[in-house]
Amino acid sequence: MAEDITLIIDGVKLTVPEGTNVVDAARTVGIEIPVFCYHPRLRSVGMCRMCMVAVGIPRIDRDTGQCLLENNRPVISMFPRLQTACTTLVSPGMVVMTSTDEVKRAQRGILEFLLTSHPLDCPVCDKGGECPLQNLTMGWGPGTSRFEYHNKMHFEKPVPLGDLILLDRERCILCGRCVRFQDELADDPVLGFDLRGRDWHIISKSDPPFDSKFSGNTTDICPVGALTTTDFRFRSRVWELRSVPSLCIHCPVGCNVNLDMRHREVMRVMPRENLAVNDIWICDKGRFGQHFVESSERLTTPLMRRGDQLVQVSWEQAFETIAERFVAIQRKHGGTALAGIAGERLSNEDLYLFQRLFREVFGSNNLDHRIGTPGDLPDDDIGVMLGVGSGTSLVTLGKGTTVLVIGANPEEEAPVYLLHLHQMVKHGGELVVANVRPTKLDHSATLSLRYRPGTATQLVRGLLRVVLEEAGTKHLSQKTTGLAELRAALNHPMASVVSATGVSEDDIRAAAHTFLQAENAVIIYGAEAMAEGTALSQDLGSLALIAGKTGKANNGLLALLPWGNSRGVLDMGVRPDRGPGYAPLASAAKEREGAGGRKAAEGAVQRGLSAREMWNGVVEGRIRGMYLMGIDPASAYPATRTALEKVDFLVVQDMFLTPTAQMADVVLPAAAFAEREGTYTNAERRVQRVRPARPAPGDCRPDWAMVQGIAEAVLALLKGTDEEQGTAKEPRKKLKGKKREAPGGAETATESPGPSWGYLTASEVASEIAERVPGYQGIAYTRLANAASRGGWGRQPNESFYYGGTCYRNSEGVGIQYPAPAELSGAGFSLKPREVETTSASGGDTRYPFLVVTQRLLYDGDPFLRDSQLLAHVPAPYVAINPSDARSLGVQAGDRVRVASVAGVLELAARVSDEVPAGCVLIPSNLPGAPLSMVQTGLQTRVAVSKVGGRRE
Amino acid sequence: MISELLKGLQTTGRYLFRQPVTVQYPEVKRPVRERFRGRHELKRFANGLERCIGCSLCAAACPADAILVVPAENDPEHPTSPGERYAKIYEINMLRCIFCGYCEDACPTNAIVLEHQYELSFYSRWDAVYPKERLIVPPDQGYGEVPPVLKELGNKSPSPPAQMDL
Repeated sequence: MAEDITLIIDGVKLTVPEGTNVVDAARTVGIEIPVFCYHPRLRSVGMCRMCMVAVGIPRIDRDTGQCLLENNRPVISMFPRLQTACTTLVSPGMVVMTSTDEVKRAQRGILEFLLTSHPLDCPVCDKGGECPLQNLTMGWGPGTSRFEYHNKMHFEKPVPLGDLILLDRERCILCGRCVRFQDELADDPVLGFDLRGRDWHIISKSDPPFDSKFSGNTTDICPVGALTTTDFRFRSRVWELRSVPSLCIHCPVGCNVNLDMRHREVMRVMPRENLAVNDIWICDKGRFGQHFVESSERLTTPLMRRGDQLVQVSWEQAFETIAERFVAIQRKHGGTALAGIAGERLSNEDLYLFQRLFREVFGSNNLDHRIGTPGDLPDDDIGVMLGVGSGTSLVTLGKGTTVLVIGANPEEEAPVYLLHLHQMVKHGGELVVANVRPTKLDHSATLSLRYRPGTATQLVRGLLRVVLEEAGTKHLSQKTTGLAELRAALNHPMASVVSATGVSEDDIRAAAHTFLQAENAVIIYGAEAMAEGTALSQDLGSLALIAGKTGKANNGLLALLPWGNSRGVLDMGVRPDRGPGYAPLASAAKEREGAGGRKAAEGAVQRGLSAREMWNGVVEGRIRGMYLMGIDPASAYPATRTALEKVDFLVVQDMFLTPTAQMADVVLPAAAFAEREGTYTNAERRVQRVRPARPAPGDCRPDWAMVQGIAEAVLALLKGTDEEQGTAKEPRKKLKGKKREAPGGAETATESPGPSWGYLTASEVASEIAERVPGYQGIAYTRLANAASRGGWGRQPNESFYYGGTCYRNSEGVGIQYPAPAELSGAGFSLKPREVETTSASGGDTRYPFLVVTQRLLYDGDPFLRDSQLLAHVPAPYVAINPSDARSLGVQAGDRVRVASVAGVLELAARVSDEVPAGCVLIPSNLPGAPLSMVQTGLQTRVAVSKVGGRRE
Repeated sequence: MISELLKGLQTTGRYLFRQPVTVQYPEVKRPVRERFRGRHELKRFANGLERCIGCSLCAAACPADAILVVPAENDPEHPTSPGERYAKIYEINMLRCIFCGYCEDACPTNAIVLEHQYELSFYSRWDAVYPKERLIVPPDQGYGEVPPVLKELGNKSPSPPAQMDL
């Protein structure tokens, strides 16, 4: 434990933990020591010499070891020279003076030196207005310079460090923050210093230059305008910007961002501090990949098919047509002839109403959020049941923590977690990385395990075995069943695990040991782990349970799901087999009836069709109408085109006229996340809110409002026809009034009006979610707005220049993490292992010798990357092959190869890489023009690879 | 009574033979004072480049929020202004402008000058928004003189910095 140390700064007595440096200590009592090179998230180096202070320590009597006293006060002996405050750690009785004449003289001298060659171009500099050099010159500078104005160094400017970041060498003060950020935090040592003296400057050492997914952060921490982004260059002055709190919806981390708006345009995206999520960093996709919002290709009005063309129609016409067609289908073929798929980057409000429309109005459980490719990952339920406890903050983890990363590549799947994990290791935590192939996380891992493809489950069972051997069930605190079955499944000799996985027994034991011994332990698993089937996640859950690492903060499972609201999709029950809050369908339907909804139709309690079954259902004629919200199956899974063409009535709701939308009967234009209210749930189950930053183009509406429009039109139609025919068995008062669910919802369905449609705002939908979705109790917008963070490191919020002049302030709420079921008493879990799904049918087939390892890339064929400069970073479709396999196939890097499976053929460029295990090929899952779904036959696909044609240019 | 009438007419008679005070505007225009603040002009350098570098400081200084500047990066081959940045859009809404001259004061390159043109009337509100094309002086009309206010200051350092690195 760090002891507290008492010292005196400028006559103020204060107590801070041991290991604090003088700059941070002074800050806790509101004394500012100016800094350039020091940054609280980086190691102190004392390069800029701006933080000079006078320091003294009590004189010790050498004989007694006691402080010498004079007039009952300790004698202070001052250091003969000034010290840099950022590298000086506090010690007991230390006396620091920050504003003596000597100190002021030193500070003025440093600033005068820094400005000798700094160009006077603040009016054109993008940093002007939020520049620490400007601020500190005003606060501490001399005001005049004794140096010749014309005797400045001039360099060519700007020099591109990479295609996103530009360097202005004249402005650079060589504090090295960018270099240290890349080395220490991002673990991408791509920047460095070159030459010396007046020619000393920053260079990029990598090829391609500045090859990092975190490059934008260096511009935030740069204390001058030396590093600027090409994205924001000369677009606006910073004081003209209006920051709107928002979220990045690209990946499950859910980074908090500010959209810096000028009038209606998003000028730049800046990180918003949230110690529980992204600290003060965001990745480049979050920073540069939000231009889709302002794309000129956005849909602006509802479109309806007339013959071969989609023509503009009014909202009323669109809703009426949709209602008529859906009701007609429902009457003729039943509600189960309707199906809906919703995307995973829609907000909770959209998704909740979407499932309500299907379950309550249509009486159908044919809901899904996946596209239905054979490689679709199974729904992750363990990840929420045993999810990381509320209060978890990866940012603060350090000594005593073990993180087990299995089958995941955080750099591509959830980039900001990579920073956190790297930081955790720096703070003394243990990082065990188990993967099929090397990833960037291996650099920082304390233990790296390389298992054979498809054997992750066996590896985890090996870990389980060791944990059970070492600790038995003494840590098992949750109510569980199936321990005997688990023990039976583990009853193999360890040698068989070793031979199957290719991981040595020592490594397995060491990994299990560190996991068990850790005070806190988190298991992170990603797409590659989930592709091994549910048996693996079940066993990971058992591992956490038996080691006692569940149900408390900083412990549990963390699943890296694909998109920004993948967790919310599951929470809201947009899936065929579970209702909102993971409730079984029967109980969800009962709850709805109890709440005054209509009596559940038969279809509402039966398991619905998954996306994959829907496509077959369409072909077989069981599905007649489809509603696709924010998803584009036609381009991601071309095999669905026949079904999309065949389906009688297709409604597509999207921001763009996607290939799917082009096949639709009605297209509804959706507002982007920056144009609406909504909440999103991140991988750690933190519910966070976005706010409207700009008006939606044209007639666009938020998705939830369009779902509601359809629901109301359908209900009006049903009501009208019921009255005509006089067959109404129960009065449907749903449309009347906006009365919320009556208290004591046990009234009979015929009496209670039930939760009506007719929400006016997203906030009303959120309140209903808070009422009706288990887990979301109390997560209303008002509470989300109140949860503001005080900021870290003892500083006050909005002391922006401390971090380099850029606004990170979070006064708009850090979100609410709802508790995992494991934290609640009475939850029971099964330890019973599931059957390991064997690899696809053609497993031993010699015609298809290679196993496909899929990889998710951050910069892939994501349609949200449109109009972004990141498109230049999206690689052309490729397949990576092990050198030995490449040799035997006669394939060289750059050759075109055919990758064929039972399902189909892809032609790709070959890369040869020893990172791919022999016998495997690595194919990124979603590169433009080559969807992997074309060859996939299941979670594990076997393919044949052959060379075609000549060498590619 | 007559004497009072004559006494009154005496003044009239005196003015009858004096130069009239009234000026026959618009045929005749009175000269304005040296420091008169009329419509803005955007000046050029002697080589024809625009003085305006699109820094938006005028817009920041403007108390009436009458100025809109949207900057952009200069094409290094054919620069619009010296340095890396120029004003792609520069608009002043003359209905909002209060002719206080703060923009002139804030301008680091003496690009914007409130000149002596005061005939500002419009048939529509949109006509009152002067785009850059209407504000900037033609290249052959030379470059802007240092504004008179600054001339009067003489050798004292003016508020816009005399030196800039562009």
